[in-house]
Amino acid sequence: MLRYALRRIPSGLLILALASVAIFVLLRATGGDPAAVKAGTDANPATIAAIRVALGLDQPLPVQYVRWLTGLFTGNLGNSLVTDAPIASLIGNGLQATFLLTLAASLLAVGMGLVLGIAIAVSSGAGRSVLDGLASLMLAVPTYVSGVLLILVLSVTLNLLPVGGYRPLLQDPLIAVQYLAMPALCLALPAAGVLARFLATAMRQVMDEDFVRTGMAKGLSPGRLLLRHILPNALPPVFTVLGIQVGQMLGGAIVVEAIFAWPGIGGVLANATLARDYYLIQDLLLIAVAVFIVLQVVTDLAHAALDSRVRLEQPPA
Amino acid sequence: MKNQAHAPRVATVRPSAPDSALRRGLRRPRTLVGLVIVAVCVVLGLLAPVLSPYSPLDQSFGALQRLSLAHPLGTDELGRDLLARVLYGIRVDVVVAVFAIPIGALLGCSLGMLSANDRWYGTLLQRTFDLMLAFTALVMGMLIAALVGSGMPAVILTVALVNVPLFGRITRSAVMGQLSRDYAVAAQVLGVSRARLMLRHILPNSVDALIVQAALSFSMAVFIEGAMSFVGIGVRPPDPSLGSTLKASINFLGQVPAYSLAPMVVVTLLVLGFNLVSDGLNQALLKR
Repeated sequence: MLRYALRRIPSGLLILALASVAIFVLLRATGGDPAAVKAGTDANPATIAAIRVALGLDQPLPVQYVRWLTGLFTGNLGNSLVTDAPIASLIGNGLQATFLLTLAASLLAVGMGLVLGIAIAVSSGAGRSVLDGLASLMLAVPTYVSGVLLILVLSVTLNLLPVGGYRPLLQDPLIAVQYLAMPALCLALPAAGVLARFLATAMRQVMDEDFVRTGMAKGLSPGRLLLRHILPNALPPVFTVLGIQVGQMLGGAIVVEAIFAWPGIGGVLANATLARDYYLIQDLLLIAVAVFIVLQVVTDLAHAALDSRVRLEQPPA
Repeated sequence: MKNQAHAPRVATVRPSAPDSALRRGLRRPRTLVGLVIVAVCVVLGLLAPVLSPYSPLDQSFGALQRLSLAHPLGTDELGRDLLARVLYGIRVDVVVAVFAIPIGALLGCSLGMLSANDRWYGTLLQRTFDLMLAFTALVMGMLIAALVGSGMPAVILTVALVNVPLFGRITRSAVMGQLSRDYAVAAQVLGVSRARLMLRHILPNSVDALIVQAALSFSMAVFIEGAMSFVGIGVRPPDPSLGSTLKASINFLGQVPAYSLAPMVVVTLLVLGFNLVSDGLNQALLKR
């Protein structure tokens, strides 16, 4: 296990380092001039040149890159080029809301995925087709369609939940959960559909194995057989899929936050992109990539811990 | 000529043609349903100028009208005909898919073949694919929009780039699988050049997985265009897009619920249709 971790973690770090270089070089070499963004639209060249010096943009690119990375590690992220607000607080506030949304959606996805996956695996005939179709629909329908549909049904027609917005969880949990429910459900649906399908396939494969027949022959109750013997053996590969899905959720959150006016980093990133707020963009992109890579490494390690065969394989990245 | 007439019949029977599995896949009910759905949507989009008397940019009708004979889907908050905007919105997706997927697939396949044939390039390219995959579709979209500005070019570039590592990895593993087969070893022993072996023998035998991925890529293209336009980094405002129409509809759902219905249905049908095609082909081609 240690040997596997010693191969897997450095390769994850390598990708992360490459990503930071790629983001920095692409934004700096082919993007626009941060000083011009900060100066505004009708600034004269002298002002822009002065800002360039003030921001350290006259220094060589490697120096700027190292300064960016040390800033990230020391929490010194500087200010937004457009609004002049400190980037650390912009990102911090957004991450809080996004983390809450992603966490709630992950829990919902696991719950719904488990129930639906087991239901597909044990059902047969028309029932299986219907449930299978439901899972396919959940994973296929884009969040920006299911989100609008949820608003249309739950808010506009039934008047059950607020259309959008955010309340801090700690102030008034009962109200906050009402605001959280729809975005979390919307973000969870595709992941739940994917999980359900993978779980059902994995469980059906396990059901064909000899030990299941032995269990049946010795008179184990179907429920015990299912939950104690089939499910645990089907879970490890599904676990990997869960990691990928949670990693994808961060990208998905950008859309879901836009639907429900959820004040997470998705909106911060979209606004920064439109305003070409380069410093904010590069920090947020690196965070998004870092979260994805960390989740991938963690799931791979967990998969290896659960399934000893994985440890002997070459790690995927 | 005479000799040919006496040639044994058996010789005219073609060995199991590689495309027979594809034909079987295309005949599966799931594939057919998907193809019909997609075809209907695409034809509606292509016939937009015929089907809709109005321009999608014409703002001269009353704002937020309900469904009527003159405007079968009503009008939006700026008084534009929604039928026209939805139909022309389909065209946007067609354009994105037609430009982006061939670019992404071609680049991905070439890099995938290269990476399967050379150890050094193999390592380098696999790391590159890992790097690209670490940018999920919308995060990639944000990076591209920050670089080239929001708009159609950003959408096309994003869809193409998202597809490169997908096609690259699939090509690599398919080619490596074929290279270890007896026929590939035999061809190499016979002195068939590497390029000829790749292009004439290995690639045609690896094409199944690529076709399944291509169908899935079309569905992704529709999804990504909609998502980018929805969050405001895709198609620029006056131009129609299913994603931006849906985004605009949220503010008016209470007054005109029908506003959002057509774009929701069309996006879902397009995504689902391509998924069904991919699913059906997958069952016939890869799960043998």
